[in-house]
Order: sequence, then structure tokens, then C-alpha cells
Amino acid sequence: MAAILGISCHYHDAAATLVVDGKLVAAVHEERLSRVKNDASVPLRAAAACLRIGGIPVTALDHVAYYENPYGKLERVLLSLLRAFPASLRQFPRAIGGQLGDKLWIVDQLAEGLRVERKRVVLGDHHRSHAAASFYPSPFASAAVLTVDGVGEETSTAIWRAGPDGLICLERLGFPHSLGLFYAALTAWLGFAVNEGEYKVMGLAAFGKPRFADEMSRLLKISSDGSFELGLEYFAHTYDSALGFSPRMETLLGPRRMPGRPWALGEIDDQRYADVAASAQAALETALLALARRAREITGETALCVGGGVALNAVANRRLLAESGFSRVFVQPAAGDAGGALGAALDLAVSRGEPRMAPLVTAALGDTADPAEAASLAEALGFRARRVDDRAATAAALLEAGRVVAWVQGRFEWGPRALGQRSILALPQDASVRDRLNRVIKEREPFRPFAPAVSDEKAAQLFDGAPNDMTPFMTTVCTVRPEHAHALTAVRHVDGTARVQTVGAHGVLAPLLAEIERRALPVVLNTSLNGPGEPIVAGAVDAVAFFARHPVDALLVEDVLIERAL
Amino acid sequence: MSLVGRLRTLGELMSHLARRQRFFLVPLVVVLLVGGLLLLATGGLSYVAPFLYALF
Repeated sequence: MAAILGISCHYHDAAATLVVDGKLVAAVHEERLSRVKNDASVPLRAAAACLRIGGIPVTALDHVAYYENPYGKLERVLLSLLRAFPASLRQFPRAIGGQLGDKLWIVDQLAEGLRVERKRVVLGDHHRSHAAASFYPSPFASAAVLTVDGVGEETSTAIWRAGPDGLICLERLGFPHSLGLFYAALTAWLGFAVNEGEYKVMGLAAFGKPRFADEMSRLLKISSDGSFELGLEYFAHTYDSALGFSPRMETLLGPRRMPGRPWALGEIDDQRYADVAASAQAALETALLALARRAREITGETALCVGGGVALNAVANRRLLAESGFSRVFVQPAAGDAGGALGAALDLAVSRGEPRMAPLVTAALGDTADPAEAASLAEALGFRARRVDDRAATAAALLEAGRVVAWVQGRFEWGPRALGQRSILALPQDASVRDRLNRVIKEREPFRPFAPAVSDEKAAQLFDGAPNDMTPFMTTVCTVRPEHAHALTAVRHVDGTARVQTVGAHGVLAPLLAEIERRALPVVLNTSLNGPGEPIVAGAVDAVAFFARHPVDALLVEDVLIERAL
Repeated sequence: MSLVGRLRTLGELMSHLARRQRFFLVPLVVVLLVGGLLLLATGGLSYVAPFLYALF
């Protein structure tokens, strides 16, 4: 037996994965267990959970694979700060303090934290980890791979050929030119938190018109061969990573939007911000399409895998499938830095001669929730808890009565999306349900859409282009067919699209969708089971705590139904 | 905390910089590490500040 623990941490969302004999056994984000949103700390809790789920003692681990090279990262940070001197002087203490005081020592931190021999900790390469995480779980025997993010050690964008011989990097683009940092700077300019607000920019873009194409062409210069350059005078990531954009961007696009100000898209100011978001999204899509076409040209492959944080842009992924010339596109659910933990472990496993993992069919790779624990805690808090015989029928009856149901079933998901294991569910017909969810339960911006889950048998009747390789993991969007637009009001975005999740016959939502189909379309509104600023629920205690804090009508933890006392 | 492990990390860092022919970064890294170690060892005592001020 060969067991490899994959780890990513220190920058965005830390995670651990366990690969045993080439098979993916467990994958857990640290935030789910630490309860700190986007927790970047060394994921010792997640690692312990993976080992517990896999029944592997730490002494049986062959390797711990870290997803990038801290020495390469330090080199790039030092060079970047020196090149930007003296503008980087203010950034210098924080950047170097973080590197030399913490990140440089990751091998020691893992060896000591996990109690494994130091020599068992193996360092990977950031973009290679992304490439491995996107290709090995895919259904393709060979494929082109495009990895696009903020920056790894030095690379920000890479094109790979992947197949039975592994991964071969064909072309790279490096820092400071980066699509991830381009989008991050616009995210900050729009008043959203970087590394969290990019989804909001994507959602906001649908409300605007891309009328700032000229301005975007100064920020991002795209060549016909797929390469690109940033207009660095408009960016600040070389000397101020906290802000990301320079005063010249405000000269070009106008004053930044103040964070936290309520959105009023009917007003001229906010409509202008929406237009900038639409322009940034359009520029990103143009750049990604050029890269994908380049990848098609130099690999000759017909399938594409996309990895890195930019691959979480579901709207762009739809255009990649439709317009890049590839017949199939796959994006795994944790395409961002957390996915690096998966890639590092899978890449090491393959390089050791272990078999490639079977295609990923479910993101339910985390831990389970104990229904007895949920029942006992709920009763202690004064809620009613009872076991039900048919959880799908019970949930369907509640949804049909207009209720909003918190749904905790099986192992929690890998990736930032709720895919039916830790979800808030409602029926998709009623726009007022969407507003209630946005304003009262999720407390988020009114323009943000909700996603539908649909049985894959019926998906094609309701959504153009569904199902495809990305829809099981909600990493793309599809257009709602016009004849069903009214019935899917709460899950249809303003541009007529929806971030569809298709559910196979063995999916955890399949019995519920079958039950709903007796009387309505087999579609359910599915959003993540978390409140504002909270990680998605993991275990029973988190679920009951969520139910106590947020006004959902019922909570179903496996077969235990929890309701508020009358 | 393993001192041997930390020294190995430093060795690996220096090997990396040498392999990449970034020799000019070595003195900078050494000064920064020694400065940091000094601050850590003295708990940031005020009498260390003039030395650091002179360095930067």
C-alpha cells in the first residue's frame, strides 16, 4: 500500500487530500474544520480528518506532498520587491516577514505538525499541481491543460499536454503578468474582498454592458498567439499586494467603489460599476479563449482541462466549451489553490508508478455528520427533533409547502460549491424565495444568483448544453430554455443563465429530485449551507448552530428532521 | 522545533538560489534572517533598534 497526503496552505484556502494506491480517498478544506473562512493556515485538522476517513495511521504515510516550492516563491518575492524598489519599501517588511517568518519553513511545519520524518515531505510546483489536479480526475485519457491563476512560484499561466506519459509543460507566462491578478485588481476596485469577491464580480457583470473595452485594452493587452501583458502602470501588485491597483487605474476608470456600500443597480453610479465588471469579465473571457485556442493549436487535443483560481469563473468556462474549438472541457470542483493539495498528491502518486485515479464522479470527499449528535444538541437547544422514514419525501413535502430546508447528507463537499451534501434547498419557481435567501438567510448582495440542481436525465430539456463534463461540479453555466424561464425564476440569473448542477442516478439529491418530479419539474434551488462570512457547514454541531442562527424552516441531518418548537 | 530541520531548510534554500544562479540574493537573505533572529532572540528589545536602523 502506498499512501500520500497532499497539502496546500499559506496563501488562500488550505486543504489536505489523501491518495492511497492512486485512489482519491479524502479531500478536506481546513476552513470546514477550523470554522475560519478561507483559512490559509497549515491544515493539520484537515490532514487528521483525511487520515481518519481513510483509516490510515500517520506512520503509514509514504509521503506528504506540498503543492509548491517555498524557495522559488521566496526568490520571486525578493526579486519582485527589489525591482519595484523604492515603491515596495512599505510592503517589504510584511512580505519578507511572512516569507522568512513562516512560509519558508513549511517542510519543518509539516514534519513537526504531522509527526512524520522530514525526508518524507516532498515539494511540488504550483502550476504543475494545478495541472495534475485538473487532468488526473478528468474523464480524458489525454488532454490539453490550461492553468491560470494569480501567481505560483513565478508562473501565472501555463499550457500543458497531459496523457499516459504524464504532464509536459509546453508554454508559460510569468509574474507580474497575470489574469488572476488582473481580475483581483478589478475586484478590489469594485469594493469586494480579493480572493473572495471574484464570484461577485462575475455575478455583477451580467447586470452591465461591456462599454469599457478601450480602457480594458490598456489594462490587459492580448496577443493573437494567446500571450498577454498587463499595463503595469495601472496595477500595484509588485509593490502593494493589499490593494492591487495603482492610482492610475482610478484615473482611467474613475474612483473605486467603497467596500460595504449597499448596491443600487438602478442608480447611475452603480450601473457604471456593473459596466466595468462586465468589461473586465469580457476581457478575461477574451484572454482565456485566446489561451485555449493556443493550447488547441499546439497540443492538437480535443479535450481541455482548466485549473487554477481563474478556472472557477464558471461564465468564462461556458465560453471555453462553446468557442475554443475543444469538444469537451473539464474543471474539477476545487480548481483554486485548495486543489493544489489534490494535484500534488496525484502527481506524486503517478510519478511513483501508481495507477491513475478513476474519473471523479462525486465531490463528497469530506467527513460525515452524526445525526444522533444533531438530534441531541437540537433538543438541548429547545428544537424539535425526530427521525423520519423517507428523508426525500419529507424534504419534498416541506419544499412544496414553500419552506426553506437546510440539508445535511453524507460526506461534505470538496471545493467551494455546495453540491447537495451541505445545502440550503428551496423550490425554484418563486422569486420571493430568492430574495428571502439573499437578504435574510445569506445576507448577501441582491444581484447574486442561486443555482439549480437538476436530474441529468432532464437537464437537456431545461438547460441548453447540459449535462456536460463540468455540470456535475457546477463549474460552468448554461442558458435556461425560454419555455422554462418562468418556472425557474429563482435560479435564473438576469442574463438568462444558471450555474447548473446535474445530478446522476446515484447522487445524494437524486431521490429528492425524483420525489419533486411527481408534481413539478425535477429542479431544486441549491445554495451553500453557510451564513455570511462563514465556511460551509461540516459536522452536526455546525449544522445545528447554523439552524439556531439563521431563519431556515427545517434542518435535515441524514434522517433526523429538526424544526423549531411551536 | 527541530534545529537540524531548520538548518536543512536553509541549506535547501541556498541550494535553490545557487541552482538558479541568484547568488546576489544570498547576502540579502542572510542579513534578513540574522536580523529576524536577533529580534526574536531579544524579544525586540529597544537596544537592538539602532543596529537594525543602521542596516536598513
